[in-house]
Amino acid sequence: MGIPESADLLDSRARSSAGALISAQTLTKRFGEFTAVDGIDFEVSRGEAFGFLGPNGAGKSSTMRMIGCVAPVSSGTLRILGMDPAANGPAIRARLGVVPQQDTLDLELTVRENLYVYGRYFGMSRSVLRPKIDELLDFAQLTERADAKVEPLSGGMKRRLTIARSLINDPEILLLDEPTTGLDPQARHVLWDRLYRLKQAGVTLVLTTHYMDEAEQLCDRLVVMDGGRIVAEGSPRELIAAHSSREVAELRFAPGDNAAAAAGITTAMAGVEARVEVLPDRVLLYVEDGEAAVVRVRDDRIIPVSSLVRRSTLEDVFLRLTGRSLVD
Amino acid sequence: MDAPAITAPPLAAQPSAWRVVEYQLVAARRYWRSIVVLGVITPLTYVLALGVGLGVVVDDHSHQLGVPYLVFVAPAFLTAAALQIAAADASFPLMAGFKWIRTFHGMVSTPLTPEQVCDGQLLWIALRLVVNSSLYLAIMAAFGGTQRWWVLLAIPAATLTGMAFASMVAALAAVLENEGNGFNMLFRFVVTPMFLFSGTFYPISQLPAWGRWLAYVSPLWHGTELARGAGIGGLSAGAALGHIAYLVAWLVVGVLLARWRFRVRLTR
Repeated sequence: MGIPESADLLDSRARSSAGALISAQTLTKRFGEFTAVDGIDFEVSRGEAFGFLGPNGAGKSSTMRMIGCVAPVSSGTLRILGMDPAANGPAIRARLGVVPQQDTLDLELTVRENLYVYGRYFGMSRSVLRPKIDELLDFAQLTERADAKVEPLSGGMKRRLTIARSLINDPEILLLDEPTTGLDPQARHVLWDRLYRLKQAGVTLVLTTHYMDEAEQLCDRLVVMDGGRIVAEGSPRELIAAHSSREVAELRFAPGDNAAAAAGITTAMAGVEARVEVLPDRVLLYVEDGEAAVVRVRDDRIIPVSSLVRRSTLEDVFLRLTGRSLVD
Repeated sequence: MDAPAITAPPLAAQPSAWRVVEYQLVAARRYWRSIVVLGVITPLTYVLALGVGLGVVVDDHSHQLGVPYLVFVAPAFLTAAALQIAAADASFPLMAGFKWIRTFHGMVSTPLTPEQVCDGQLLWIALRLVVNSSLYLAIMAAFGGTQRWWVLLAIPAATLTGMAFASMVAALAAVLENEGNGFNMLFRFVVTPMFLFSGTFYPISQLPAWGRWLAYVSPLWHGTELARGAGIGGLSAGAALGHIAYLVAWLVVGVLLARWRFRVRLTR
Protein backbone atom coordinates (compact mmCIF):
# COMPACT_ATOMS: atom_id res chain seq x y z
CA MET A 1 0.00 0.00 0.00
CA GLY A 2 1.47 3.32 -1.05
CA ILE A 3 1.53 6.04 1.58
CA PRO A 4 -0.15 8.72 -0.54
CA GLU A 5 -3.13 6.45 -1.26
CA SER A 6 -3.68 5.39 2.33
CA ALA A 7 -3.37 8.96 3.51
CA ASP A 8 -6.00 9.91 0.94
CA LEU A 9 -8.24 7.12 2.14
CA LEU A 10 -7.89 8.12 5.77
CA ASP A 11 -8.51 11.70 4.81
CA SER A 12 -11.74 10.84 3.05
CA ARG A 13 -12.96 8.69 5.95
CA ALA A 14 -12.05 11.36 8.48
CA ARG A 15 -13.74 14.12 6.60
CA SER A 16 -16.90 12.21 5.94
CA SER A 17 -17.21 11.06 9.53
CA ALA A 18 -16.65 14.58 10.81
CA GLY A 19 -19.32 16.11 8.59
CA ALA A 20 -22.38 14.67 6.97
CA LEU A 21 -22.18 11.36 5.08
CA ILE A 22 -24.57 12.77 2.52
CA SER A 23 -25.25 16.41 1.91
CA ALA A 24 -27.40 18.02 -0.76
CA GLN A 25 -27.95 21.67 -1.60
CA THR A 26 -30.67 22.75 -4.03
CA LEU A 27 -30.51 19.25 -5.47
CA THR A 28 -32.59 19.06 -8.64
CA LYS A 29 -33.53 16.32 -11.08
CA ARG A 30 -35.24 17.15 -14.35
CA PHE A 31 -36.51 14.82 -17.06
CA GLY A 32 -36.97 17.11 -20.05
CA GLU A 33 -39.63 19.62 -19.03
CA PHE A 34 -40.63 17.67 -15.94
CA THR A 35 -38.95 18.48 -12.62
CA ALA A 36 -38.97 15.35 -10.44
CA VAL A 37 -36.83 16.79 -7.62
CA ASP A 38 -37.11 20.53 -7.17
CA GLY A 39 -34.14 22.02 -5.32
CA ILE A 40 -34.06 20.07 -2.04
CA ASP A 41 -31.57 20.45 0.82
CA PHE A 42 -30.79 17.74 3.35
CA GLU A 43 -27.97 16.12 5.29
CA VAL A 44 -27.55 12.60 6.62
CA SER A 45 -25.13 11.89 9.49
CA ARG A 46 -23.26 8.69 10.22
CA GLY A 47 -25.29 6.04 12.02
CA GLU A 48 -28.57 7.78 11.34
CA ALA A 49 -31.71 6.20 9.89
CA PHE A 50 -33.02 8.85 7.53
CA GLY A 51 -36.28 8.60 5.62
CA PHE A 52 -37.96 10.18 2.63
CA LEU A 53 -41.70 9.96 3.16
CA GLY A 54 -44.12 10.85 0.41
CA PRO A 55 -46.72 9.61 -2.05
CA ASN A 56 -45.86 8.03 -5.40
CA GLY A 57 -44.36 10.62 -7.71
CA ALA A 58 -43.06 12.83 -4.90
CA GLY A 59 -39.48 12.52 -6.17
CA LYS A 60 -38.23 10.01 -3.60
CA SER A 61 -36.90 7.44 -6.05
CA SER A 62 -35.22 10.04 -8.24
CA THR A 63 -33.47 11.37 -5.14
CA MET A 64 -32.37 7.86 -4.21
CA ARG A 65 -31.04 7.20 -7.69
CA MET A 66 -28.95 10.37 -7.49
CA ILE A 67 -27.59 9.36 -4.07
CA GLY A 68 -26.87 5.89 -5.49
CA CYS A 69 -24.71 7.57 -8.19
CA VAL A 70 -26.84 6.02 -10.90
CA ALA A 71 -28.82 9.02 -12.12
CA PRO A 72 -26.83 12.20 -12.80
CA VAL A 73 -27.70 15.36 -10.87
CA SER A 74 -29.43 18.00 -13.06
CA SER A 75 -28.37 20.93 -10.88
CA GLY A 76 -27.41 21.70 -7.30
CA THR A 77 -24.72 20.05 -5.18
CA LEU A 78 -24.59 16.49 -3.91
CA ARG A 79 -21.74 15.05 -1.83
CA ILE A 80 -21.66 11.44 -0.70
CA LEU A 81 -18.90 10.30 1.66
CA GLY A 82 -17.30 13.63 0.83
CA MET A 83 -17.14 12.87 -2.87
CA ASP A 84 -18.87 14.16 -5.97
CA PRO A 85 -20.94 11.47 -7.72
CA ALA A 86 -20.23 12.99 -11.14
CA ALA A 87 -16.49 12.51 -10.68
CA ASN A 88 -16.24 9.49 -8.36
CA GLY A 89 -19.32 7.37 -9.04
CA PRO A 90 -17.61 3.96 -8.95
CA ALA A 91 -15.61 4.81 -5.81
CA ILE A 92 -18.75 5.94 -4.00
CA ARG A 93 -20.79 2.98 -5.20
CA ALA A 94 -18.08 0.67 -3.85
CA ARG A 95 -19.06 1.88 -0.36
CA LEU A 96 -22.85 1.91 -0.80
CA GLY A 97 -25.43 -0.84 -0.49
CA VAL A 98 -28.51 -0.48 -2.67
CA VAL A 99 -31.91 -2.09 -2.29
CA PRO A 100 -33.82 -0.92 -5.37
CA GLN A 101 -37.56 -0.58 -5.57
CA GLN A 102 -37.77 -3.49 -8.03
CA ASP A 103 -35.62 -6.53 -7.39
CA THR A 104 -32.78 -7.07 -9.87
CA LEU A 105 -31.97 -10.65 -8.84
CA ASP A 106 -31.17 -13.28 -11.44
CA LEU A 107 -34.08 -15.66 -10.98
CA GLU A 108 -32.28 -18.53 -12.76
CA LEU A 109 -29.35 -18.50 -10.35
CA THR A 110 -29.39 -19.89 -6.83
CA VAL A 111 -29.55 -17.68 -3.76
CA ARG A 112 -25.84 -18.27 -3.13
CA GLU A 113 -24.84 -17.62 -6.75
CA ASN A 114 -26.65 -14.29 -6.71
CA LEU A 115 -24.63 -13.21 -3.69
CA TYR A 116 -21.39 -14.53 -5.17
CA VAL A 117 -21.77 -12.84 -8.54
CA TYR A 118 -22.72 -9.54 -6.92
CA GLY A 119 -19.70 -9.69 -4.60
CA ARG A 120 -17.49 -10.22 -7.63
CA TYR A 121 -18.81 -6.98 -9.14
CA PHE A 122 -17.19 -5.28 -6.14
CA GLY A 123 -13.92 -7.00 -6.90
CA MET A 124 -14.11 -9.20 -3.79
CA SER A 125 -12.05 -12.38 -3.87
CA ARG A 126 -13.53 -15.87 -3.58
CA SER A 127 -11.86 -16.47 -0.22
CA VAL A 128 -13.34 -13.29 1.25
CA LEU A 129 -16.75 -13.98 -0.26
CA ARG A 130 -17.21 -17.54 0.99
CA PRO A 131 -17.53 -16.75 4.74
CA LYS A 132 -19.26 -13.45 3.99
CA ILE A 133 -22.00 -15.20 2.02
CA ASP A 134 -22.62 -17.70 4.82
CA GLU A 135 -22.90 -14.87 7.30
CA LEU A 136 -25.36 -12.97 5.09
CA LEU A 137 -27.46 -16.07 4.40
CA ASP A 138 -27.78 -16.51 8.13
CA PHE A 139 -28.68 -12.86 8.63
CA ALA A 140 -31.34 -13.01 5.92
CA GLN A 141 -32.67 -16.35 7.27
CA LEU A 142 -32.02 -17.97 3.91
CA THR A 143 -29.41 -20.57 4.86
CA GLU A 144 -31.80 -23.44 4.14
CA ARG A 145 -32.57 -22.06 0.70
CA ALA A 146 -28.94 -21.25 -0.14
CA ASP A 147 -28.75 -23.63 -3.09
CA ALA A 148 -32.31 -23.19 -4.30
CA LYS A 149 -33.13 -21.16 -7.39
CA VAL A 150 -34.46 -17.67 -6.67
CA GLU A 151 -37.49 -17.89 -8.97
CA PRO A 152 -39.86 -19.86 -6.68
CA LEU A 153 -38.98 -17.95 -3.50
CA SER A 154 -41.67 -15.83 -1.84
CA GLY A 155 -41.68 -12.05 -2.23
CA GLY A 156 -40.42 -11.63 1.33
CA MET A 157 -37.53 -14.04 0.77
CA LYS A 158 -36.51 -12.31 -2.45
CA ARG A 159 -36.57 -9.00 -0.64
CA ARG A 160 -34.41 -10.41 2.16
CA LEU A 161 -32.01 -11.75 -0.44
CA THR A 162 -31.82 -8.32 -2.07
CA ILE A 163 -31.02 -6.81 1.33
CA ALA A 164 -28.40 -9.51 2.01
CA ARG A 165 -26.89 -8.81 -1.41
CA SER A 166 -26.73 -5.09 -0.71
CA LEU A 167 -24.62 -5.83 2.39
CA ILE A 168 -22.01 -7.93 0.59
CA ASN A 169 -19.46 -5.08 0.49
CA ASP A 170 -20.01 -3.98 4.13
CA PRO A 171 -21.50 -0.70 2.94
CA GLU A 172 -21.20 2.47 5.00
CA ILE A 173 -24.58 3.65 3.75
CA LEU A 174 -27.51 1.41 2.89
CA LEU A 175 -30.07 2.88 0.47
CA LEU A 176 -33.50 1.26 0.59
CA ASP A 177 -36.11 2.34 -1.95
CA GLU A 178 -39.52 1.23 -0.65
CA PRO A 179 -38.10 -1.89 0.97
CA THR A 180 -41.41 -3.46 1.98
CA THR A 181 -43.84 -2.31 -0.71
CA GLY A 182 -45.95 -5.25 -1.89
CA LEU A 183 -45.11 -7.54 1.03
CA ASP A 184 -47.62 -9.07 3.43
CA PRO A 185 -47.64 -7.77 7.03
CA GLN A 186 -45.72 -10.71 8.43
CA ALA A 187 -42.94 -10.43 5.84
CA ARG A 188 -42.73 -6.70 6.52
CA HIS A 189 -42.21 -7.27 10.23
CA VAL A 190 -39.42 -9.78 9.57
CA LEU A 191 -37.76 -7.26 7.28
CA TRP A 192 -38.14 -4.41 9.75
CA ASP A 193 -36.51 -6.56 12.39
CA ARG A 194 -33.50 -7.17 10.08
CA LEU A 195 -33.22 -3.46 9.26
CA TYR A 196 -33.46 -2.56 12.92
CA ARG A 197 -30.53 -4.89 13.64
CA LEU A 198 -28.47 -3.18 10.94
CA LYS A 199 -29.27 0.17 12.45
CA GLN A 200 -28.15 -1.12 15.87
CA ALA A 201 -24.93 -2.30 14.23
CA GLY A 202 -24.24 1.29 13.16
CA VAL A 203 -25.11 1.11 9.46
CA THR A 204 -26.42 4.40 8.12
CA LEU A 205 -29.84 3.76 6.60
CA VAL A 206 -31.48 5.97 4.00
CA LEU A 207 -34.92 4.80 2.99
CA THR A 208 -37.97 5.90 1.10
CA THR A 209 -41.45 4.78 1.95
CA HIS A 210 -45.04 5.73 1.55
CA TYR A 211 -45.96 3.78 4.66
CA MET A 212 -46.01 6.01 7.70
CA ASP A 213 -45.81 3.03 10.07
CA GLU A 214 -42.56 2.03 8.36
CA ALA A 215 -41.19 5.54 8.71
CA GLU A 216 -42.18 5.64 12.37
CA GLN A 217 -40.64 2.23 13.04
CA LEU A 218 -37.31 2.81 11.37
CA CYS A 219 -36.47 6.48 10.96
CA ASP A 220 -34.65 8.68 13.46
CA ARG A 221 -35.28 11.63 11.21
CA LEU A 222 -37.23 12.10 8.03
CA VAL A 223 -38.29 14.58 5.42
CA VAL A 224 -41.77 14.70 3.98
CA MET A 225 -41.70 15.14 0.20
CA ASP A 226 -44.48 16.27 -2.08
CA GLY A 227 -44.26 17.34 -5.70
CA GLY A 228 -40.46 17.19 -5.72
CA ARG A 229 -40.06 19.45 -2.69
CA ILE A 230 -39.40 18.89 0.99
CA VAL A 231 -42.40 20.15 2.92
CA ALA A 232 -41.29 19.24 6.45
CA GLU A 233 -38.32 17.77 8.27
CA GLY A 234 -37.72 16.30 11.74
CA SER A 235 -38.02 13.18 13.87
CA PRO A 236 -41.41 11.43 13.67
CA ARG A 237 -42.22 12.79 17.14
CA GLU A 238 -41.17 16.34 16.25
CA LEU A 239 -43.18 16.29 13.03
CA ILE A 240 -46.29 15.12 14.85
CA ALA A 241 -45.80 17.75 17.56
CA ALA A 242 -45.28 20.52 15.01
CA HIS A 243 -47.96 19.63 12.49
CA SER A 244 -50.63 17.65 14.30
CA SER A 245 -52.38 17.41 17.66
CA ARG A 246 -51.69 14.82 20.32
CA GLU A 247 -54.84 12.84 19.59
CA VAL A 248 -57.27 12.31 16.77
CA ALA A 249 -60.94 11.41 17.02
CA GLU A 250 -62.17 9.63 13.90
CA LEU A 251 -65.92 10.00 13.49
CA ARG A 252 -67.89 8.10 10.86
CA PHE A 253 -71.28 9.22 9.70
CA ALA A 254 -73.73 7.83 7.16
CA PRO A 255 -72.47 8.24 3.57
CA GLY A 256 -72.98 11.82 2.38
CA ASP A 257 -73.48 13.19 5.90
CA ASN A 258 -69.83 13.88 6.64
CA ALA A 259 -69.68 17.48 5.39
CA ALA A 260 -72.84 18.53 7.27
CA ALA A 261 -71.64 16.81 10.43
CA ALA A 262 -68.26 18.55 10.15
CA ALA A 263 -69.95 21.95 10.18
CA GLY A 264 -71.83 20.98 13.34
CA ILE A 265 -68.68 19.66 14.95
CA THR A 266 -66.84 22.92 14.26
CA THR A 267 -69.60 24.78 16.11
CA ALA A 268 -69.58 22.26 18.95
CA MET A 269 -65.84 22.62 19.42
CA ALA A 270 -65.90 26.41 19.58
CA GLY A 271 -63.56 27.65 22.30
CA VAL A 272 -61.39 24.49 22.27
CA GLU A 273 -58.23 24.14 20.24
CA ALA A 274 -59.38 21.78 17.52
CA ARG A 275 -59.10 21.27 13.79
CA VAL A 276 -61.61 19.43 11.64
CA GLU A 277 -60.66 17.54 8.48
CA VAL A 278 -63.31 16.01 6.23
CA LEU A 279 -62.36 12.83 4.33
CA PRO A 280 -64.69 11.01 1.93
CA ASP A 281 -65.47 8.31 4.49
CA ARG A 282 -64.98 10.03 7.87
CA VAL A 283 -64.37 13.23 9.77
CA LEU A 284 -61.08 13.69 11.63
CA LEU A 285 -61.03 15.85 14.72
CA TYR A 286 -57.56 16.95 15.82
CA VAL A 287 -57.52 17.73 19.54
CA GLU A 288 -55.45 17.29 22.69
CA ASP A 289 -58.03 15.06 24.38
CA GLY A 290 -59.92 12.82 21.97
CA GLU A 291 -62.36 11.23 24.44
CA ALA A 292 -63.43 14.60 25.80
CA ALA A 293 -63.99 15.87 22.27
CA VAL A 294 -66.19 12.89 21.36
CA VAL A 295 -68.31 13.50 24.50
CA ARG A 296 -68.62 17.15 23.61
CA VAL A 297 -69.76 16.39 20.07
CA ARG A 298 -72.34 13.87 21.30
CA ASP A 299 -73.59 16.41 23.86
CA ASP A 300 -74.41 18.63 20.87
CA ARG A 301 -76.57 15.75 19.51
CA ILE A 302 -74.22 15.02 16.67
CA ILE A 303 -74.20 11.23 16.81
CA PRO A 304 -71.63 9.41 14.65
CA VAL A 305 -72.21 5.82 13.44
CA SER A 306 -68.89 4.97 15.03
CA SER A 307 -66.03 6.78 16.69
CA LEU A 308 -62.41 5.97 17.43
CA VAL A 309 -59.79 7.89 19.37
CA ARG A 310 -56.12 7.37 18.52
CA ARG A 311 -52.78 9.15 18.71
CA SER A 312 -51.61 11.28 15.81
CA THR A 313 -49.40 9.57 13.23
CA LEU A 314 -47.26 10.76 10.35
CA GLU A 315 -50.26 10.10 8.11
CA ASP A 316 -51.96 13.02 9.86
CA VAL A 317 -48.87 15.15 9.39
CA PHE A 318 -48.87 14.34 5.71
CA LEU A 319 -52.57 15.07 5.38
CA ARG A 320 -52.09 18.40 7.10
CA LEU A 321 -49.14 19.40 4.94
CA THR A 322 -50.40 18.27 1.56
CA GLY A 323 -54.14 17.86 1.93
CA ARG A 324 -53.87 14.30 0.63
CA SER A 325 -53.42 10.83 2.09
CA LEU A 326 -50.18 8.98 1.50
CA VAL A 327 -51.58 5.88 -0.13
CA ASP A 328 -54.53 6.44 -2.43
CA MET B 1 -21.82 22.23 5.80
CA ASP B 2 -20.60 21.51 2.34
CA ALA B 3 -18.00 18.75 2.40
CA PRO B 4 -15.58 19.59 -0.41
CA ALA B 5 -15.17 17.07 -3.20
CA ILE B 6 -11.97 15.11 -2.80
CA THR B 7 -10.03 12.62 -4.84
CA ALA B 8 -11.49 9.14 -4.72
CA PRO B 9 -9.58 6.57 -2.69
CA PRO B 10 -8.41 3.62 -4.79
CA LEU B 11 -10.84 0.74 -5.10
CA ALA B 12 -9.88 -2.64 -3.63
CA ALA B 13 -9.68 -4.01 -7.15
CA GLN B 14 -10.48 -2.28 -10.40
CA PRO B 15 -13.86 -3.50 -11.54
CA SER B 16 -13.88 -4.64 -15.11
CA ALA B 17 -16.06 -5.97 -17.85
CA TRP B 18 -14.69 -9.45 -17.10
CA ARG B 19 -16.83 -9.52 -13.93
CA VAL B 20 -19.85 -9.45 -16.22
CA VAL B 21 -18.40 -12.30 -18.27
CA GLU B 22 -17.89 -14.22 -15.04
CA TYR B 23 -21.57 -13.73 -14.17
CA GLN B 24 -22.54 -15.14 -17.56
CA LEU B 25 -20.25 -18.13 -16.96
CA VAL B 26 -21.99 -18.83 -13.64
CA ALA B 27 -25.37 -18.54 -15.35
CA ALA B 28 -24.22 -20.74 -18.25
CA ARG B 29 -23.63 -23.65 -15.86
CA ARG B 30 -27.34 -24.28 -16.25
CA TYR B 31 -27.64 -24.12 -20.02
CA TRP B 32 -24.24 -24.95 -21.51
CA ARG B 33 -25.53 -28.33 -22.65
CA SER B 34 -28.17 -26.72 -24.82
CA ILE B 35 -25.53 -24.39 -26.30
CA VAL B 36 -23.41 -27.40 -27.24
CA VAL B 37 -26.33 -29.41 -28.62
CA LEU B 38 -27.45 -26.44 -30.71
CA GLY B 39 -23.85 -25.82 -31.70
CA VAL B 40 -23.60 -29.35 -33.06
CA ILE B 41 -27.05 -29.82 -34.57
CA THR B 42 -27.03 -26.58 -36.58
CA PRO B 43 -23.85 -27.36 -38.54
CA LEU B 44 -24.92 -31.00 -38.93
CA THR B 45 -28.20 -30.07 -40.59
CA TYR B 46 -26.67 -27.40 -42.81
CA VAL B 47 -23.67 -29.44 -43.81
CA LEU B 48 -25.74 -32.56 -44.53
CA ALA B 49 -28.76 -30.96 -46.20
CA LEU B 50 -27.16 -28.18 -48.21
CA GLY B 51 -23.50 -29.05 -48.39
CA VAL B 52 -23.76 -32.74 -49.02
CA GLY B 53 -27.27 -33.00 -50.53
CA LEU B 54 -27.35 -29.86 -52.65
CA GLY B 55 -23.65 -30.27 -53.24
CA VAL B 56 -24.20 -33.47 -55.21
CA VAL B 57 -26.44 -31.59 -57.66
CA VAL B 58 -24.14 -28.56 -57.87
CA ASP B 59 -20.98 -30.61 -58.30
CA ASP B 60 -22.63 -32.58 -61.16
CA HIS B 61 -23.47 -29.42 -63.08
CA SER B 62 -20.74 -26.95 -62.37
CA HIS B 63 -16.99 -26.85 -62.46
CA GLN B 64 -16.68 -23.09 -61.94
CA LEU B 65 -16.04 -23.31 -58.20
CA GLY B 66 -12.88 -25.36 -58.47
CA VAL B 67 -13.56 -27.17 -55.19
CA PRO B 68 -16.35 -29.45 -53.98
CA TYR B 69 -19.49 -27.44 -53.14
CA LEU B 70 -19.26 -28.41 -49.46
CA VAL B 71 -15.79 -26.91 -49.22
CA PHE B 72 -17.08 -23.77 -50.94
CA VAL B 73 -20.21 -23.36 -48.81
CA ALA B 74 -19.15 -24.57 -45.34
CA PRO B 75 -16.98 -21.57 -44.30
CA ALA B 76 -19.85 -19.30 -45.37
CA PHE B 77 -22.32 -21.27 -43.26
CA LEU B 78 -19.97 -21.03 -40.33
CA THR B 79 -19.82 -17.26 -40.69
CA ALA B 80 -23.57 -16.92 -41.20
CA ALA B 81 -24.20 -19.04 -38.09
CA ALA B 82 -21.91 -16.77 -36.07
CA LEU B 83 -23.80 -13.71 -37.25
CA GLN B 84 -27.19 -15.24 -36.46
CA ILE B 85 -26.15 -16.36 -32.98
CA ALA B 86 -24.62 -12.95 -32.33
CA ALA B 87 -27.81 -11.19 -33.38
CA ALA B 88 -29.95 -13.50 -31.25
CA ASP B 89 -27.72 -13.15 -28.17
CA ALA B 90 -27.53 -9.37 -28.47
CA SER B 91 -31.29 -8.89 -28.81
CA PHE B 92 -33.78 -10.48 -26.37
CA PRO B 93 -31.25 -11.50 -23.68
CA LEU B 94 -30.04 -7.89 -23.46
CA MET B 95 -33.58 -6.54 -23.41
CA ALA B 96 -34.19 -8.89 -20.47
CA GLY B 97 -31.26 -7.34 -18.63
CA PHE B 98 -32.76 -3.88 -19.08
CA LYS B 99 -36.41 -4.64 -18.73
CA TRP B 100 -37.48 -8.06 -17.50
CA ILE B 101 -35.00 -9.37 -14.97
CA ARG B 102 -33.31 -5.95 -14.76
CA THR B 103 -29.91 -7.42 -13.88
CA PHE B 104 -28.09 -4.55 -15.64
CA HIS B 105 -29.68 -2.10 -13.22
CA GLY B 106 -28.26 -4.17 -10.37
CA MET B 107 -24.81 -4.15 -11.96
CA VAL B 108 -24.62 -0.36 -12.23
CA SER B 109 -25.41 -0.06 -8.50
CA THR B 110 -21.96 -1.56 -7.95
CA PRO B 111 -18.64 0.01 -9.01
CA LEU B 112 -19.32 -1.27 -12.55
CA THR B 113 -20.13 1.42 -15.11
CA PRO B 114 -22.73 1.10 -17.90
CA GLU B 115 -19.86 0.95 -20.41
CA GLN B 116 -18.33 -2.00 -18.56
CA VAL B 117 -21.69 -3.78 -18.47
CA CYS B 118 -21.95 -3.25 -22.23
CA ASP B 119 -18.40 -4.44 -22.90
CA GLY B 120 -18.88 -7.46 -20.66
CA GLN B 121 -22.01 -8.55 -22.49
CA LEU B 122 -20.25 -8.15 -25.85
CA LEU B 123 -17.19 -10.08 -24.62
CA TRP B 124 -19.49 -12.87 -23.51
CA ILE B 125 -21.07 -13.03 -26.97
CA ALA B 126 -17.61 -13.07 -28.55
CA LEU B 127 -16.60 -15.95 -26.31
CA ARG B 128 -19.68 -17.85 -27.34
CA LEU B 129 -18.91 -17.21 -31.01
CA VAL B 130 -15.40 -18.59 -30.65
CA VAL B 131 -16.75 -21.77 -29.04
CA ASN B 132 -19.54 -22.12 -31.54
CA SER B 133 -17.37 -21.50 -34.59
CA SER B 134 -14.84 -24.04 -33.36
CA LEU B 135 -17.58 -26.67 -33.01
CA TYR B 136 -18.81 -25.75 -36.48
CA LEU B 137 -15.38 -26.16 -37.96
CA ALA B 138 -14.92 -29.56 -36.31
CA ILE B 139 -18.17 -30.81 -37.85
CA MET B 140 -17.18 -29.37 -41.25
CA ALA B 141 -13.89 -31.20 -41.05
CA ALA B 142 -15.60 -34.43 -40.07
CA PHE B 143 -17.68 -34.32 -43.28
CA GLY B 144 -14.85 -33.38 -45.60
CA GLY B 145 -15.68 -29.68 -45.73
CA THR B 146 -12.11 -28.56 -45.09
CA GLN B 147 -8.97 -28.87 -47.21
CA ARG B 148 -6.19 -26.99 -45.43
CA TRP B 149 -5.08 -25.70 -42.01
CA TRP B 150 -5.60 -22.08 -43.02
CA VAL B 151 -9.31 -22.74 -42.54
CA LEU B 152 -8.74 -22.25 -38.78
CA LEU B 153 -8.69 -18.50 -39.55
CA ALA B 154 -12.39 -18.82 -40.33
CA ILE B 155 -12.94 -18.83 -36.53
CA PRO B 156 -11.62 -15.28 -35.91
CA ALA B 157 -13.19 -14.13 -39.20
CA ALA B 158 -16.62 -15.39 -38.15
CA THR B 159 -16.21 -14.01 -34.63
CA LEU B 160 -15.30 -10.57 -35.97
CA THR B 161 -18.28 -10.64 -38.34
CA GLY B 162 -20.66 -11.66 -35.57
CA MET B 163 -19.36 -8.97 -33.22
CA ALA B 164 -19.50 -6.23 -35.87
CA PHE B 165 -23.22 -6.94 -36.12
CA ALA B 166 -23.88 -7.83 -32.45
CA SER B 167 -22.58 -4.46 -31.25
CA MET B 168 -25.18 -2.69 -33.42
CA VAL B 169 -27.93 -5.03 -32.21
CA ALA B 170 -26.84 -4.38 -28.60
CA ALA B 171 -27.24 -0.64 -29.19
CA LEU B 172 -30.73 -1.32 -30.58
CA ALA B 173 -31.58 -3.51 -27.56
CA ALA B 174 -30.65 -0.62 -25.27
CA VAL B 175 -32.91 1.74 -27.24
CA LEU B 176 -36.05 -0.42 -27.61
CA GLU B 177 -38.46 0.13 -24.72
CA ASN B 178 -40.44 -3.06 -25.32
CA GLU B 179 -40.60 -6.15 -27.51
CA GLY B 180 -42.86 -4.59 -30.11
CA ASN B 181 -41.73 -5.54 -33.59
CA GLY B 182 -38.23 -4.13 -33.45
CA PHE B 183 -36.33 -7.40 -33.24
CA ASN B 184 -38.75 -9.27 -35.49
CA MET B 185 -38.20 -6.66 -38.19
CA LEU B 186 -34.48 -6.97 -37.67
CA PHE B 187 -34.49 -10.73 -38.14
CA ARG B 188 -36.97 -10.77 -41.00
CA PHE B 189 -35.74 -7.83 -43.03
CA VAL B 190 -32.05 -7.66 -42.17
CA VAL B 191 -30.64 -10.94 -40.86
CA THR B 192 -32.41 -13.35 -43.23
CA PRO B 193 -31.91 -11.32 -46.44
CA MET B 194 -28.28 -10.86 -45.46
CA PHE B 195 -27.94 -14.64 -45.41
CA LEU B 196 -29.39 -14.87 -48.92
CA PHE B 197 -27.49 -11.98 -50.53
CA SER B 198 -24.01 -12.28 -49.04
CA GLY B 199 -22.47 -14.88 -51.30
CA THR B 200 -23.20 -17.70 -48.91
CA PHE B 201 -24.59 -20.13 -51.49
CA TYR B 202 -23.00 -18.76 -54.68
CA PRO B 203 -20.38 -16.17 -55.61
CA ILE B 204 -21.92 -12.70 -55.70
CA SER B 205 -20.64 -12.31 -59.29
CA GLN B 206 -23.81 -14.27 -60.12
CA LEU B 207 -25.94 -11.37 -58.82
CA PRO B 208 -27.08 -8.31 -60.79
CA ALA B 209 -25.41 -5.02 -59.82
CA TRP B 210 -28.03 -4.03 -57.21
CA GLY B 211 -27.64 -7.39 -55.53
CA ARG B 212 -23.88 -7.03 -55.45
CA TRP B 213 -24.26 -3.70 -53.71
CA LEU B 214 -26.42 -5.33 -51.06
CA ALA B 215 -23.54 -7.73 -50.50
CA TYR B 216 -20.90 -4.99 -50.36
CA VAL B 217 -22.81 -3.22 -47.59
CA SER B 218 -23.50 -6.37 -45.61
CA PRO B 219 -20.91 -7.29 -42.97
CA LEU B 220 -21.75 -10.91 -43.67
CA TRP B 221 -20.37 -10.79 -47.22
CA HIS B 222 -17.06 -9.36 -45.98
CA GLY B 223 -16.89 -12.05 -43.29
CA THR B 224 -17.81 -14.75 -45.78
CA GLU B 225 -15.05 -13.65 -48.16
CA LEU B 226 -12.55 -13.83 -45.31
CA ALA B 227 -13.68 -17.24 -44.07
CA ARG B 228 -13.90 -18.68 -47.57
CA GLY B 229 -10.50 -17.21 -48.43
CA ALA B 230 -9.13 -18.98 -45.36
CA GLY B 231 -10.76 -22.24 -46.42
CA ILE B 232 -9.97 -22.36 -50.14
CA GLY B 233 -7.54 -19.51 -50.80
CA GLY B 234 -7.69 -17.13 -53.72
CA LEU B 235 -8.03 -14.04 -51.50
CA SER B 236 -5.41 -11.34 -51.96
CA ALA B 237 -3.85 -9.70 -48.91
CA GLY B 238 -5.21 -6.33 -50.01
CA ALA B 239 -8.75 -7.66 -50.31
CA ALA B 240 -8.44 -9.40 -46.95
CA LEU B 241 -7.30 -6.18 -45.28
CA GLY B 242 -10.18 -4.31 -46.90
CA HIS B 243 -12.71 -6.79 -45.53
CA ILE B 244 -11.14 -6.69 -42.08
CA ALA B 245 -11.10 -2.89 -42.12
CA TYR B 246 -14.78 -2.76 -43.05
CA LEU B 247 -15.74 -5.16 -40.25
CA VAL B 248 -13.57 -3.38 -37.69
CA ALA B 249 -15.21 -0.09 -38.66
CA TRP B 250 -18.63 -1.64 -37.97
CA LEU B 251 -17.38 -3.00 -34.67
CA VAL B 252 -15.90 0.29 -33.50
CA VAL B 253 -18.99 2.30 -34.42
CA GLY B 254 -21.23 -0.40 -32.95
CA VAL B 255 -19.38 -0.58 -29.63
CA LEU B 256 -19.39 3.21 -29.29
CA LEU B 257 -23.12 3.36 -30.03
CA ALA B 258 -23.87 0.48 -27.67
CA ARG B 259 -21.84 1.97 -24.81
CA TRP B 260 -23.60 5.32 -25.28
CA ARG B 261 -27.07 3.75 -25.33
CA PHE B 262 -26.27 1.55 -22.29
CA ARG B 263 -25.31 4.68 -20.36
CA VAL B 264 -28.43 6.55 -21.45
CA ARG B 265 -30.67 3.61 -20.57
CA LEU B 266 -29.10 2.77 -17.21
CA THR B 267 -28.53 6.25 -15.77
CA ARG B 268 -31.91 7.89 -16.11
